[in-house]
Amino acid sequence: MKKFISLFRALIKNWFRSKSGVFFSFLFPVMLLLIFSTVFGGQESVEYTLHVQNNDLVERYEFSLDQNYTRYLENGTVHEEMREAFEEKDHTISPDASMSKTGDKSWEINDNDRWYGLEENETKIDVYTLGDQVTCLSENFTKGLRKTETLDIVTLDRDVNVTEYFEDDTSFGESRRALIISRGFQEKALDKSMELRMKVIQDTMDRIGDQYDMNESEEENFTERQEMVDRWANRTKTGESAEVLLLTSEGDQVAPIIEGTVYGVVNNFNQRMMGVEDSTVEVESESIGRKDLEGADYYLPGLIAAFIMTNGIIGVTGTISEYKRNGTLKRLISTPLTKANWIFANVAQQTVLAFLLTGVMVLLGVVVFGVQVYPNLYALGFIFVGAVAFCSVGIVLGGLIKDVEAANGAGNAIAFPMMFLSGAFWPLERMPSYMQSVAKVLPLYYFHRGLTEIMILQDPSGAVVPFLIISVFGVIFMILATKVTRWKDM
Amino acid sequence: MAEHVIEVEDLTKNYGDVTAIDGVSFSVNEGEIFSLVGPNGAGKTTTVEILECLREPTSGKAKVLGHDIRKEEMKIKEQIGVMPQDFNTFDRLTAKENIKLAADIYDKSGAEEIIKKVGVKEFENKRFEDLSGGMKTRVGIGMALVSDAPLLFLDEPTTGLDPQARRETWSLIKGLKRMNKTVFLTTHYMEEVEELSDRAAVIIDGDIKITDSISNLIERYGGGVKITASKEKGAEELIKKNSDEVTEEDKDELTGIFEDREKARKTLISLFKKDCNVSVEEAGMDEVFLELAGGKLTEEGELA
Ligand SMILES: Nc1ncnc2c1ncn2[C@@H]1O[C@H](COP(=O)(O)OP(=O)(O)O)[C@@H](O)[C@H]1O
Ligand SMILES: [Mg+2]
Repeated sequence: MKKFISLFRALIKNWFRSKSGVFFSFLFPVMLLLIFSTVFGGQESVEYTLHVQNNDLVERYEFSLDQNYTRYLENGTVHEEMREAFEEKDHTISPDASMSKTGDKSWEINDNDRWYGLEENETKIDVYTLGDQVTCLSENFTKGLRKTETLDIVTLDRDVNVTEYFEDDTSFGESRRALIISRGFQEKALDKSMELRMKVIQDTMDRIGDQYDMNESEEENFTERQEMVDRWANRTKTGESAEVLLLTSEGDQVAPIIEGTVYGVVNNFNQRMMGVEDSTVEVESESIGRKDLEGADYYLPGLIAAFIMTNGIIGVTGTISEYKRNGTLKRLISTPLTKANWIFANVAQQTVLAFLLTGVMVLLGVVVFGVQVYPNLYALGFIFVGAVAFCSVGIVLGGLIKDVEAANGAGNAIAFPMMFLSGAFWPLERMPSYMQSVAKVLPLYYFHRGLTEIMILQDPSGAVVPFLIISVFGVIFMILATKVTRWKDM
Repeated sequence: MAEHVIEVEDLTKNYGDVTAIDGVSFSVNEGEIFSLVGPNGAGKTTTVEILECLREPTSGKAKVLGHDIRKEEMKIKEQIGVMPQDFNTFDRLTAKENIKLAADIYDKSGAEEIIKKVGVKEFENKRFEDLSGGMKTRVGIGMALVSDAPLLFLDEPTTGLDPQARRETWSLIKGLKRMNKTVFLTTHYMEEVEELSDRAAVIIDGDIKITDSISNLIERYGGGVKITASKEKGAEELIKKNSDEVTEEDKDELTGIFEDREKARKTLISLFKKDCNVSVEEAGMDEVFLELAGGKLTEEGELA
């Protein structure tokens, strides 16, 4: 026992004194939480009227067209065959309607004030129209405007032509201001949020990279991770951001204030978006009486889970292969220490680190951002199991791979895609469907989902399956770790 | 305790096709400093690590402190102190912390005392990564020594050290003998073998050529004593008459090689009496090695 405790202490100290170690396993996640969590700011007492027209409606499935019609998908006027097909489904399209491509496999038809969305899939073309419900995000955005208490929000019907409306009705006087939320707001905003988040991660790393003096191998390691993040950042680039149109009359004295306020909300909203759960989940959770997942609520467990994972898969892999290379491990093996001492000391170190990280993150979440977190024994248990599982993966990789660079490379190559694909940082539903299926085979997905159930939704029963999955995964890798770690003839 | 601290019989280790050591046998006596000396790749580390239970031998037998290396691994590990080749330990722990860690692992309490003994006190609070080669070696010996084990293995403890640090390490190792430790040392420095060890085994290509005390080795394989004198006052005749071989590297000087030390001694006395200008060169392990291996070892340990 004494052997084990001393070794455990040595591992902790050696980790704690490593700048890049502490940065990656501790400071980095804490900083991401801080930056991700910038929330709504100041409040004012005077109110100004703002008319808001929300055109971002939830799409509704109408019917499907046969695959043969794919050939009529082209920019310009709508082909006669296509129009006839619509007619058969009781949707009349005028000859001067136009079709345009909006995405990889998506098209739209604009026919005066009517809109159709077309989505190609393997066997058919699905056609959507706009429903009566506004999207969750645009609704939240409107709520955000209301919350400022500077603006008195008046909802404008969607069939109102805003420009004509104001010209006709002079009685509006000073309050002739309108904000138009255009169709596609939610979609673009969510896409953008992924990109923004990647940018935050990139910036944080760059800034730290500049300020931290690291030795050569640390620097190398750091650069490798930066490149990894850059590669992912490029993949999440979408370009278009969500737009809102603000109309004010020329002589409006308070226009700048309105503009500023709207701008502030947009800004805050953008930042806040970095943690907003997708609409389906939110609606769902409301309907069954659960908490809404917003901001820090969402990504607190995500960040905790993601970093426990990287601490195991990148951190442990790297340190173990380094101990192997530089002879520290041989030094230990030639003493009466046992293989079990070694494996458990590493696992214990990771567990302590995981608890520490969780503690600080939860504390910050609660104190600074007012997150309602329910730390309980289930959460501790789940974090323990996760830390053991991912640490075991690190021990396996570190044991299998001789070369330090190769081991670091392997750790990064596994952990980074897992981190970004599992939906720990952004709603999974935003990602292409093949990526969603990938996420569901990743242990991190179950880890952060389970943590969310326990810590935020206060529903440990929802975490049973994730818990079992992570436990089985952990046991398998624990067994592998004892098999792969050589205590002789290394 | 067994008569011999280490007994090795016909030990062989293959790494795939490579035979690292090929049926070596030797024994180490209690309280002696025993050197295993040979060029790089000769099989020194392989031999040491088999005895430390870090490697499984392919065949053969070995006992360490009376324990079978195959069956009583833990008993052996508890009773030996080890300093591996290219020794390293937790970089960011201090010298003191590392030695204390080792003490805890062996469940021994004498860390403070050892720190003073091996001369680590003055830099005990420096991180291991910030120490010089010589300092690191001290820490390594300290970590081996806190085991309080009667037998220490030091695998090339002075390789890569500057001459000053090497000498300091030597005096530390000599001190171990005074503490009644048995020391198993590997090295490729002949000077080190002469300076420190009681007995040595010469290993070349996985094969131990000979094991004997240093004085016996020098006497048998050293190639005698060299006496060089100016060609004056009858020195030339005296040397030519008594020596076994004569060489002339300078036109005013001549060198005689004496296989028989006694004969050399007598000749030397006669030369002194004649007040000749004389210099003497005694053969050492360098010559022994040259004789056994057919080459000298470079500073880096390569056979040349
Ligand atoms: N792990 C290993 N795998 C394969 N060959 C090895 C291994 N370790 C040592 N060898 C080979 O065994 C021989 C003896 O090596 P070693 O015992 O390290 O010699 P020394 O310590 O005298 O320099 C060398 O030829 C070396 O290349
Ligand atoms: Mg060696």
